[in-house]
Amino acid sequence: MTQTTLSTPKKITPISFDWKKWLGVIPFFLFAILFLILPSMRLFVGSFTNNEGSFTFANVLQLFQQKNILDAYWLSIRISAVTAIGGGIFGFLLAYAVTIGGLPLPLRSALITFSGVASNFAGVPLAFAFVATLGRTGIITAILKNVFHINIYQAGFNLYSFIGLCLTYMYFQFPLMVLIMAPALDGLKREWREAAENLGATSIQYWTQVAMPILLPSILGAMILLFGNAFGAYATAYALTGGSLPIVTIQIGAQIRGDVLHNPGLGYAMAMGMVFIMAISLAGYSWLQRVSERWLR
Amino acid sequence: MAYLTLSHISKQFAETYAVEDFNLDIDKGEFVSFLGPSGCGKTTTLRMVAGFEIPTSGRITLDGADITNKAPNQRHVGMVFQSYALFPNMTVSQNIGFGLRVRKASEAEIKERVKEMVSLVNLEKHADKYPFQLSGGQQQRVSLARALAIRPNVLLLDEPLSALDAKIRVSLRAEIRSIQRRLGITAIFVTHDQEEALSISDRIVVMYDGNVEQVGTPFDIYNFPRTPFVANFVGSLNTANAEVTDTEKGLLNMDGVQLVSAAKMDGLKKGDKVRIAIRPERFSFASEGKKANVLDCQIENITFLGSVVRVHILVGKTKFTMDTFNYPSLALPQIGDMVQVTCSKEAVLILGEATS
Amino acid sequence: MNLAKVQTLSKTSKPKPQTRRIPVWSWFWFILGALYFILPLYATLQFSLQMKRDQITLLAYQKAFEDPQFIKTFTYSNILALATIVAGIVLFVPTAYWIRLRLPEARRLTEFITFLPFVVPAIILVFGMIRIYSTPVKIPFTDIELFQPLTTTHFGTNILIVAGYMVLAMPYMYRSVDIGMRTVDVRTLTEAAQSLGANWFTIITRVILPNIRASLLSGALLTFAIVVGEVTLASFLGVNAFGPYLFLLGQHLAYQPAALSFVTFLLTWMAMGLIQLFTGGQGQATGAH
Repeated sequence: MTQTTLSTPKKITPISFDWKKWLGVIPFFLFAILFLILPSMRLFVGSFTNNEGSFTFANVLQLFQQKNILDAYWLSIRISAVTAIGGGIFGFLLAYAVTIGGLPLPLRSALITFSGVASNFAGVPLAFAFVATLGRTGIITAILKNVFHINIYQAGFNLYSFIGLCLTYMYFQFPLMVLIMAPALDGLKREWREAAENLGATSIQYWTQVAMPILLPSILGAMILLFGNAFGAYATAYALTGGSLPIVTIQIGAQIRGDVLHNPGLGYAMAMGMVFIMAISLAGYSWLQRVSERWLR
Repeated sequence: MAYLTLSHISKQFAETYAVEDFNLDIDKGEFVSFLGPSGCGKTTTLRMVAGFEIPTSGRITLDGADITNKAPNQRHVGMVFQSYALFPNMTVSQNIGFGLRVRKASEAEIKERVKEMVSLVNLEKHADKYPFQLSGGQQQRVSLARALAIRPNVLLLDEPLSALDAKIRVSLRAEIRSIQRRLGITAIFVTHDQEEALSISDRIVVMYDGNVEQVGTPFDIYNFPRTPFVANFVGSLNTANAEVTDTEKGLLNMDGVQLVSAAKMDGLKKGDKVRIAIRPERFSFASEGKKANVLDCQIENITFLGSVVRVHILVGKTKFTMDTFNYPSLALPQIGDMVQVTCSKEAVLILGEATS
Repeated sequence: MNLAKVQTLSKTSKPKPQTRRIPVWSWFWFILGALYFILPLYATLQFSLQMKRDQITLLAYQKAFEDPQFIKTFTYSNILALATIVAGIVLFVPTAYWIRLRLPEARRLTEFITFLPFVVPAIILVFGMIRIYSTPVKIPFTDIELFQPLTTTHFGTNILIVAGYMVLAMPYMYRSVDIGMRTVDVRTLTEAAQSLGANWFTIITRVILPNIRASLLSGALLTFAIVVGEVTLASFLGVNAFGPYLFLLGQHLAYQPAALSFVTFLLTWMAMGLIQLFTGGQGQATGAH
């Protein structure tokens, strides 16, 4: 890193800003351009290009017309929504239990550490773990069959299905919710509860009129993040279902390997559609995060 | 009968007593301060009145009713917290109206009362703002209005000014006092700042280490401190060790310098070693008039503090501080000069046994 | 509120005893959560110990570790992780430092960039990377080829995958380093060091790096956790890493994959535990992949 003071006299340039300052961040921007922005742009441009190479909106339009694509998006949205809401609620209750809920402090550390682990434990190992748990010869399946005489597979349950994938996704969704909500719940000042009590509020009134409204931005923001998280997941779904569940990421994966849609532009458009959904999810989370920080600081 | 009575209140946490045998009668409309350093038990006592802590033993009676074990949301006392504790999801008006809303008052009643409170604390222009848009002083005024809106029996203030800038502190404490007077509401004010307590209270309770050291008016506490702690904590003080030479005439020997004191010497005999104290502002130059004690001293240093001039003097072997008012024609001695200073015999306090 | 009302209230209100109430519901949710987390792990462990019928044995582990492919891919993934960590430190630390010291104007743009990987998950990233880098890199508007397509050479693919991993790890690593620098106030430290006569190299190696050790370690550990188990980038780019190997193993065998999955879990746990140790705070989550 060089000093900005030069021994040569400064040239008076008409532009008043010091471009030399920007030298230091060129490596980073170069990296970002080469390996993040260019690939994204390639997909973006590609989605507006037809097979002959000229500009077209047709690919984007087809996203909304082709049934299997719409189905894929709808399936992904459903899985993401279910795991976001389910994971959100359960994660919130867990975070509540170890913060305000009054459980001993060591349990809180344990939960936070474990949440950190579990939220990183996605992909192939997670799929295997769930197969060992709820697969046809899984441990829970066996317990239910031998002890409670309930054969879940006979009853129609299948791990390699929508519900199975949801259950598996929950494994990293709950912990993510816990990690986001625990600090937010910490930010719920004790004095607010005391002030409310002092002014005559019952526990229920405190929760409905003070605590929940204050926590709502955090909870909603976290759920939106969970949604995006599930939407973009590939490895876990592929390892578990082998591609039989046609969610958007699996479809894109198939498209990468071989042009199953017979239209590269459409493949790019699908990818872009996904990026669009993720971007909205991230924007929503960011905005709500800022609002909640203002209150919980 | 007193309006609010705390009788033999004690609070024990694990092995230690946060508050021990606290007794106090407060009349209706009185402004009482709990004054003391952190950890003295003043906030714990306040929280017991509010209901956030339950006394280990003792009784609290408010307007004839025993409230010792009552839930905090049933006591009808208003509390102002050090950190304001405004609900961030509500506007100023909504915060102030909260207490009425949970009591299911009518919308019209809430609106009117909120309007009244908002103008009481001079925040009309900010009624629809959110707490994060207000300054610290403004937030605390909202907090005050919110507590007063429910027409509480007692107003409890837990170091409400500690988080604010010095200037705001001074103006806000005057405002709090004037509102309290206007409404005639009984108030307990907890603080560690003796200037605050002295300037606005009807009575002060000085606390240390869970015990009450002294209860009295500001004038009493300052001029007639009854324990060494009170003497040291409230106002500044010169202290020194001295030996009693004559209990009838009240004579003491401070390292070769003779002092005469008007303090009671019951229980003391000749030869006892005691700790004496003299307030800096009780000294004056002998050239302006001699009182019972006339002491030769040497000027060590002179510090100019604005309206007060602080003179550091050496009396025999003891260093004292003397505060005198500044005025343009003041003829100050030079550093190193030998002068005579004087103080009355009432100014010489006896705090207790000599310390090493 | 008049006296009568106060008195009636005192009769009807039940005082809440300040003795410890057992938070039943909290325990309920916690135990439920603990069960949900632990069962799959236990199931994996139990399954992995069942290679010999009716016996608890570590045979599955033994066989798994003996497999030369395992050794090859696991080592390779570790090397990739190391490369990503080093490259990440070399790129992100000076950048974050420069921006803090000299170029606060770039902060918003940089933060935006570090957020982008959330919007461009691994599958999309690899899609774009493959499409761009499977054609030769040309100087724009000419036919002069600079490199062969990166995807066709081993070296090129390695570059791509390390770069890809850097992109995936960037939000955590960059953010961690940046926060660490803010906490120790590198600006003031630098000025103090300069006034004492230190040159840039000394400042970075003796003042800055030691003080952001915790951030570097937690960023490194997180990167390790991400890279070792990563499947998406590795399999689409054709890299012989641990993730694809494990997946393939799962297609043919039963016990060894379970054993390796459990080992992966232990490794992740170790990494996260170390992060907790160094940062003493909240855990870090990377979310799904």
